[in-house]
Amino acid sequence: MQEYRMHLMLCAGTGCVSNRAFDIEKAFNRELEKHNLQDEIQVVDTGCQGFCERGPIMIVQPGDIFYEMLEEKDIPYLVEEHFLKGRPVEKHMYVPKEGDDPIPKLSDIGFFKKQKLIALANRGLIDPENIDEYIGREGYSALAKALTEMTPEEIIKEVKDSGLRGRGGGGFSTGMKWGFAKNSPGDEKYIICNADEGDPGAFMDRSIVESDPHVILEGMAIGAYAIGASHGFIYVRGEYPLAVERIYKAIKDARTYGLLGDDIFGTGFEFDVSVNRGAGAFVCGEETSLIASLEGNMPEPRVRPPYPAVAGYMGKPTNINNVETWANIRHIINRGATWYSSIGTETSKGTKVFSLVGKVNNTGLVEVPMGISVRDIIFDIGGGVMNGKKFKAVQTGGPSGGCIPESLLDTPVGYDTFAKIGSIVGSGGMIVMDEDNCMVEVARYFLAFTQQESCGKCTPCREGTRHMLDILTRITEGKGKEEDIDILLEMSELIGSTSLCALGATAPNPVLTTLKYFRDEYDAHIKEGRCPAKECKSLIQYTILADKCTGCTLCARDCPVDAISGERKGIHIIDPEVCVKCGICKAVCNFDAVRIES
Amino acid sequence: MIKYTLNGKIIEKGNETTILESASKQGIKIPTLCNNEHLTPFGGCRLCLVDVATTRNPDMKKLMPACTAKIGEGQIIETHSSKVIQARRFILSMLISRSPKASELRVLAKEIGLPEDSEEQTPAEKYLFNDAPSIVDTNCILCGLCVRACAEIPMRDAISFSARGMERTVKTPFEKYAETCIGCGSCAYVCPTNTITIEEVV
Amino acid sequence: MNLKPEDLKKISEKMEASTNLRSGAGRAKITVHMGTCGIATGARDIMKAFLDELEASGQKDILFTTTGCAGLCSHEPMATIEIQGESPVKYVHLTKEKVKTIFKEHVMNGKIVEESALGRGSERVG
Repeated sequence: MQEYRMHLMLCAGTGCVSNRAFDIEKAFNRELEKHNLQDEIQVVDTGCQGFCERGPIMIVQPGDIFYEMLEEKDIPYLVEEHFLKGRPVEKHMYVPKEGDDPIPKLSDIGFFKKQKLIALANRGLIDPENIDEYIGREGYSALAKALTEMTPEEIIKEVKDSGLRGRGGGGFSTGMKWGFAKNSPGDEKYIICNADEGDPGAFMDRSIVESDPHVILEGMAIGAYAIGASHGFIYVRGEYPLAVERIYKAIKDARTYGLLGDDIFGTGFEFDVSVNRGAGAFVCGEETSLIASLEGNMPEPRVRPPYPAVAGYMGKPTNINNVETWANIRHIINRGATWYSSIGTETSKGTKVFSLVGKVNNTGLVEVPMGISVRDIIFDIGGGVMNGKKFKAVQTGGPSGGCIPESLLDTPVGYDTFAKIGSIVGSGGMIVMDEDNCMVEVARYFLAFTQQESCGKCTPCREGTRHMLDILTRITEGKGKEEDIDILLEMSELIGSTSLCALGATAPNPVLTTLKYFRDEYDAHIKEGRCPAKECKSLIQYTILADKCTGCTLCARDCPVDAISGERKGIHIIDPEVCVKCGICKAVCNFDAVRIES
Repeated sequence: MIKYTLNGKIIEKGNETTILESASKQGIKIPTLCNNEHLTPFGGCRLCLVDVATTRNPDMKKLMPACTAKIGEGQIIETHSSKVIQARRFILSMLISRSPKASELRVLAKEIGLPEDSEEQTPAEKYLFNDAPSIVDTNCILCGLCVRACAEIPMRDAISFSARGMERTVKTPFEKYAETCIGCGSCAYVCPTNTITIEEVV
Repeated sequence: MNLKPEDLKKISEKMEASTNLRSGAGRAKITVHMGTCGIATGARDIMKAFLDELEASGQKDILFTTTGCAGLCSHEPMATIEIQGESPVKYVHLTKEKVKTIFKEHVMNGKIVEESALGRGSERVG
């Protein structure tokens, strides 16, 4: 095998690919060849490295040198300077907000420093399409250990003792779930990996499958051996083409090595998986809906019990776990329950992956130990709020979660600590909002999402969320009534307790938490017809400040509806009757003369 | 033997049944809209929710649909607690708001104690009865009895659900004349709001 | 081909060099200074000589990398050898022959080749 002196770990996750990572790769190969470096330096496509905000990104090893926001035109210079002459190019490195000097080392960058990688252990380090690289990092050794040294009971005990809880949102003990499926009578059992990620703003499952597909296969094979299954399904979101491609490649390679199929490792254990692509129903994140969809039926939940562990796919005992849960398994088997449970808090063990998005400087994917404070995630790892704005709230757990206000930012990450403040860890979405976000609008947005994704089987979710959405909409339009708060509270409570599945039962959470922590914003909309964050279009007006306007005419020229009039060098005026409140005038004004009034 | 408590009365029974069947044998009426004893339980309308706790955790009460939930050892079941009544009133208010012309729902409202007088209603009920904009004009409450009847009695699958959420409707395949329909009338027979009519086709 | 548990190890060993390179783990690290001055005095040949030695030795836990000018252009070509847990040693005025000796003595046996060494320690303070 050829040895290289340098590896260029180019991120080929979906985020970076959409920022033309593949063009960059071509440019690198072209330039390396030009300087006759192709035998010394290897370009490796990796999965998502997490720092999507700065894509396309690349890490040079050895040396841990981190390049960001690469463009095709930069490559010739970069190759010549760094890879030929050995001078890292500071211009393309990450610049921390507070400092002056570029910090070239990955391990020094705040975004990476406080993270602890278990589920994402291989991100950026291996070529996801090369099974040897996975094996090179202890890949499939946990499966070998499980099959040759452990009984199913011992595996289940290890997973149970590790304290691992379902990472898809449920938070139920994974080991107990496996135990139920194992003890459920039946010769034919199934294993499912839920990769039908659908929360707005969450993409950790996609990232894991894209950057480390074998970790899922290995976890599933261990799970299958533990519960006594011989077939598994990966139910992957249809909109994740790269993940689908890589999982297919991984399955093919694993079969070639006999890591899937008959007689794995010569132990007589037999296991194989097939891939199913979701068709875009959020409710398939709910396990009984997902199973219905796998069976070829409409994606609708059914009443539990019986749980899938007793009657799942085709009525057979089935164990279903989320991608991130599966990604933890091999580490628990290899390093033991004691090691895993030493990380985290009393009731929440291990790490959790969060997708940090919204108005935060370092958008991306982060894996942190349970128990870290929300503040640490947003400010130390996330680099704080964008554009120096004031932090207002963070929505965790997507549309099923709640908003955490500034006063609760020191809450440690954990299933129970989040539940106590009305939110959930959920699948790990974390949407940061600043002073310009209207919290009524936030609640309306999330409810509009769940309303649209409601399957319509049960009355409260189908009808109730629609009524709540109507009320929230009328509040954001300034047509709210005094009694609306009481109606929302009553409906929230009842939809929560009467819905068939978790989609409906958790749908009111964003409303409940915003009502709890941002009641003043609701009151301002209803009682004063005012949107304090100046976001609700029906309640704001754009005006031009006479003392600041220089009459440059820029806003008038850019206004799409010709609502702005005024002579050159004269003060401009916006006609509120014509204005559609698109905000272009405010964005283009060089003199800060445009104001939003509510 | 399963030992459980139903509305304060301790019952010991040998065979496993649903809470709905058990209550019915005890002469307790639990309202339902999507249930029919000859068809697979659906658990969708949520009108039959009852309060269930267990002797191990008497304070952990949970609303469960009586039509699908099986009786279990140590259960403490309340079919008419204030929480249950509140949930039923809310469910039925939403269905009445959806299909205000369905007289069957008004009859049911009287039975379960959902007042039509806004003075006696909760804020949400008042909204649902008077203020809520109507967006569908149908008496169909999507209970799915017709779909299940067609699939399970003549086994024709001539109708099924289409679309999701508020757009959900019961349709024939591709909205074309269903060739598998034999005109047996099972669907119309089970419809709780008499929304399906049978026509002679010449 | 059905793998046996012991086959995993073989594949792992085959991959060890690149794994170590990427995770920064290794028993020893060789850094050839390849600034313009270094390249001009033949650092590329020095690099190739080290790579040849490395390949011939079959060692998988030695990292090889290049870096920029060390600032002492008059002493080029230069290389830094760092044995894990010890302070790095800089070698100056390298030739292919010196590389052979340094690799054998220092990298493999941990003995500093004093006649070619400039000094211990890192060039940067702090």
